[in-house]
Amino acid sequence: MRRLQLISILLLVIVLAGLPQVIKKDSTINLLILIFLYIILATGWNILGGYAGQTSLGHAAFFGLGALATRMLWFKGFPILPCILAGGLLAVVFALLVGGPAFRLRGVYFAIGTLALAQILYVTVGNIYPQISALPVNELVSYQITDRYYLFLGIAVFAVAVAYFLVNSRLGLGMMAVREEEDAAESLGVSALEHKLIALGVSAFITGLGGGAFAYYHVSFYPQFPFSPAWSLDMLTMVYIGGAGTILGPIIGAVFFVVLKQFLVQNVGEYHLIVFGVLFILVVLFLQGGIISIWKRIQLARQNRSKKVALKLSPAEKVDSSVLASGQGKENHY
Amino acid sequence: MKTRLASLIAIVLMMSLLLGSCASAPTPAPAATEPPAQAPTKAPVVATEAPATEAAKPPAPEYIEIGGSIPLTGPFGSLGNLVLPGYEFAVENINANGGVYVEEYGTKIPLRLTYYDDESDPTKAVSNMETLNSEKNVTAYLGGAGSSMHAATAAIAEKNKVPYCGISFALYKIHQQGYKYLFSPFPKSPQQAKDTFEVLNSIPEADRPSKVAIFSYSDDWGKELGDLWEQNAKDNGYEVVLRAENPVAPNNDWSDAILKAKAAGAEVLLTMPIFPDGSGMFKTMSEIGWAPKFALVIRAPEGLNWGESMGTVGDYVTIFPGWHHGAKFPGVEELNKEYQAKFDRPADLLTGPAYACVQIVANAIEKAGTLDRDAVRDAMAKTDMTTVIGPVTFNEDGTGNVLNPLIQWQNGKMELVWPTDQATADFVYPAPPFEERNSQ
Repeated sequence: MRRLQLISILLLVIVLAGLPQVIKKDSTINLLILIFLYIILATGWNILGGYAGQTSLGHAAFFGLGALATRMLWFKGFPILPCILAGGLLAVVFALLVGGPAFRLRGVYFAIGTLALAQILYVTVGNIYPQISALPVNELVSYQITDRYYLFLGIAVFAVAVAYFLVNSRLGLGMMAVREEEDAAESLGVSALEHKLIALGVSAFITGLGGGAFAYYHVSFYPQFPFSPAWSLDMLTMVYIGGAGTILGPIIGAVFFVVLKQFLVQNVGEYHLIVFGVLFILVVLFLQGGIISIWKRIQLARQNRSKKVALKLSPAEKVDSSVLASGQGKENHY
Repeated sequence: MKTRLASLIAIVLMMSLLLGSCASAPTPAPAATEPPAQAPTKAPVVATEAPATEAAKPPAPEYIEIGGSIPLTGPFGSLGNLVLPGYEFAVENINANGGVYVEEYGTKIPLRLTYYDDESDPTKAVSNMETLNSEKNVTAYLGGAGSSMHAATAAIAEKNKVPYCGISFALYKIHQQGYKYLFSPFPKSPQQAKDTFEVLNSIPEADRPSKVAIFSYSDDWGKELGDLWEQNAKDNGYEVVLRAENPVAPNNDWSDAILKAKAAGAEVLLTMPIFPDGSGMFKTMSEIGWAPKFALVIRAPEGLNWGESMGTVGDYVTIFPGWHHGAKFPGVEELNKEYQAKFDRPADLLTGPAYACVQIVANAIEKAGTLDRDAVRDAMAKTDMTTVIGPVTFNEDGTGNVLNPLIQWQNGKMELVWPTDQATADFVYPAPPFEERNSQ
């Protein structure tokens, strides 16, 4: 990561942290919270789906478990941070319990298997906890959306950082090797099951933390609601819109997903789902690497142009240009 | 470089989490009778804080903003699409008379309705409610449809201290949270359970059924209404021979419960299935040959598709939908005419209560004489008026004292059969066996 990028990220985080002091409208803060929530979920899903290549349709289970555990513990009087952490850990425990058997399935069967698991939890939680979970009135009166904003911002930064360090580590390379060709990876001594389980655990932890923050944010919901399959589909959609297997892709996907949907709801009326659906199809058809692929295409075109220019230069200059190009290529991987 | 980045992220995280965690665990709700905490409310866009006099009224805002998050798509979309026209017609008609008179400004101000589709997703509904508050500065919220949606949106209304009028939910529990800004001119479970046995008790003693079967759902409303039916049955001297429970699902297998109810000699069926489940339930009953003398089926038969898809099997089923276009109250005839012109049918079951909500909000604004939300909330609490759903007053918990008409499907049409002074047709009792219906 270059110094400029590091400074940009730091500035962005500082600006985001300062926004509640400038923006006084709850609706805008609320919109940013939704963006952070979806960044957390998309980034979590991307670790398993984008880097380890395991398409899960059951991540709502981890989100729901995080929300359920957090809400229950919090309502019992525990401070919120340990409750959220417990929610994340519960999601990890569940993920590791089901991971072994689930990873005996591959491809579409794995996707269907995870969907079934999440559906089982969805129905079971609905049966066991049919009552609304609502914040008491005195809590509503003192409800501070800014607290929630910082919590979501913190978890979103944590999720992106975890994803960044993971994919730049030996473990991350192993996961990507498994994604590209599982049997080949095994033949090189990379344990596919171990790497997939680690990816699942980390992914579930981040998603569970998102669930915990959701439980702290939402004033009133049915405990079954976070287990709804729509959450899993939203995660997948955002990652593919933004660009799977990249750090920036899920962030772009989440911003696109939340902001565009909100804009369409407020401006297109009852046709908003049709318009969003058409845009989604266009992205899938013409930007198969997600929105982030536009940037990659531009960079590729720039590189091609610089190569053409390099051909006309002296041999010494050619060497310098090729070194520069290869360096850029390495950076561009993420 | 990685070490520096890690340190940076760690600092940011620590700061964010510390700022975000400055909250304690929730504490139990106060008693529902406590007055709401006083907090500053948002003034209308051009209102001034100075007290208005006859000589110098402040300039009136262009509109009185009202709005809601309505599920127009998703699982509650069919309900939301019946609620919305009620709001729209009411706003149109009030504005046709110049709007609502607001004493503070000494003039009539037209209403402006803003609504957003929440796709039946409570999280999106919350976001929409915040937008309506921050961006539109609504004087009052109008509710969407479905208990889970109201549970989320009514809490936001309470948080933002904006009066909220919602229909299309019978769950009483929402009103037991101690909310002060929630008002619902719609029959709730306790009234539905009580009225069920009032209807049964109105049947001559010699013909009156005595054995009741209850098929309920395991969700909160299912449990709430199921328990209330059971309690009211006992209180009125009826025997509950079966209480069967299933999760909320479109295709439960009720055959075992139907066989048990038939074997136990149940004459009354009380249930609240969603449409496809209720349809399957009655088709199975028809195949098994168990036609209870009285069937109260809340929810599934409320759509026109019940009559179209069920034929004679769906006849004689009764519903407590909250309203019927045959109700004899001022404004209903005009509403039906407008609805007929636009949709080619009389007003739908939820349209009347939705229309009434706007009438109630407009009346409260006029009574309050200001757009101050707390004043409007206080005026709503004191509502005592006749709307298209009849006379409306509110209890302290925000539940409405409203008419709860009983509708019965007869020859593929919904008829209002109880109370008798409102009836559009006679109540048919007992319901004939399924095999005799085709020959009628």
